[in-house]
Amino acid sequence: MQPLIDCDIHQPNPTQEEWCEYLPEPYRSEVARFGPRIISSGIRFEDGGNRWDLGGERNGRTLRDPEFYSEQLLDTYGHRYAILSGNNGHIAGMPDPDYTAALCTALNNYYLDRWLPRDERFLLTLKIPLQDPAQAVREIERLAGTPRVVAVSVFATANRIAFGERYYWPIYEACQRHNLPLHLHPSTTATIANAAMTPAGQAATYLESHVCMPQFYMAQVASMVLNGVFAKFEQLKVILVEGGICWLPHLLWRMDAEFKGLRHQAPFLKRMPSDYVRDHVRLTTQPIEEPSKAEHLLQMFDMIGADDIVMYASDFPHWDFDEPTKLPRALGETTLRRILHDNAAQFFNLPAVPVTEAAIS
Amino acid sequence: MSWQKVCMASEVREGTPTMVSLGRREIGILRYGDSFHAVLNFCPHAGAPIARGRVEAIVLGNEPGALPDCDHDRPVLKCPWHHWEFDLTSGASVCPIKPRIKMFPLKVENGDIWIDA
Repeated sequence: MQPLIDCDIHQPNPTQEEWCEYLPEPYRSEVARFGPRIISSGIRFEDGGNRWDLGGERNGRTLRDPEFYSEQLLDTYGHRYAILSGNNGHIAGMPDPDYTAALCTALNNYYLDRWLPRDERFLLTLKIPLQDPAQAVREIERLAGTPRVVAVSVFATANRIAFGERYYWPIYEACQRHNLPLHLHPSTTATIANAAMTPAGQAATYLESHVCMPQFYMAQVASMVLNGVFAKFEQLKVILVEGGICWLPHLLWRMDAEFKGLRHQAPFLKRMPSDYVRDHVRLTTQPIEEPSKAEHLLQMFDMIGADDIVMYASDFPHWDFDEPTKLPRALGETTLRRILHDNAAQFFNLPAVPVTEAAIS
Repeated sequence: MSWQKVCMASEVREGTPTMVSLGRREIGILRYGDSFHAVLNFCPHAGAPIARGRVEAIVLGNEPGALPDCDHDRPVLKCPWHHWEFDLTSGASVCPIKPRIKMFPLKVENGDIWIDA
């Protein structure tokens, strides 16, 4: 079986009872008395939830059980590793930095205690409070080096401050120091709390919001490259999850074209903008675009050098889950192996496939 | 290639190229401070009359987050159409790309400008 690394799966939020065990005071008492602070996008979200076929029990387990993920996903497709992204996008929209920091600490401790020990194939992304970079750095420092913690999770849709700004640089310095990539994920909820849902304004539906997700990645990547984040932090790595891939050629070509005439506005860039993307940024496949002519997708893979920068993600158990077999076979065995496994193994510094396993596969 | 007297240095003003024709070639004589430069009036990007662009000191930035600087001893020519910039000390693009402008050796003798073209 093809070895597989899945860069994005979504374990559930803890229940309020579970979560409160991990929440420090005074927030534990607050939540016990008043419930958690809530923000919502106000758009119909039910259609953006989980696959409908995963409801109820299977072998006595439900989506609340880590073993459900092990059996229904990891065993089924032969995962070597799967990265737990959580379902906590609302933390990026919380206005109170102290509450958010407490929330992140509680979530991190909960998943470290209750999920990682349940399957050695689980890997974890750390939640941090972007509202306060100093506290975010402390959380990174607290947990960096923890086995199977492989990335720092941030929500990259409509943030109040774009990711290239110097406000975030202490976070990037900490990520670089501990060799922890940034794992960028969209959040509809954080979007409504922070700013407009799309560059054009508010989205009325989940459909509209979801279609426009890559626009945020285009803006965040442009912000990081053109403000010199990758020139400053030469070892920093970023993975963009749930944005698909077909938007990238346009961004690379436009950045390079405009840089040729406006270089003096980013004079610290010593290479072309696209070179920084290729060295520092990785994209995940899901939701892979579905052009009416299949060969067009192959052309897109070729345009972005997918051999090196694309990695597989399933988004399990969400409604727009992609099986690994959704990737075109015509990509060829070598490219498929790199996308399904090797690129992620290298990116996250994961152990190589044992020789015997590699030989068998 | 041969050295040819094309104009007097005192005729060449900063900000305005002095255009000379040598055969089919149109060449712009540019001034930046006390330095003179001779460039073929053709941008390798889109064929624009590049000598009509702007000559400025190159803007340099050593590190993101630090104030940028400029080097007046290293003027650049910016094309009037898409603002691609070329180093007038070499003709090379300032961005790390291959296209470069055609430049001609230039000397000033007794107040006259000579170019080897």
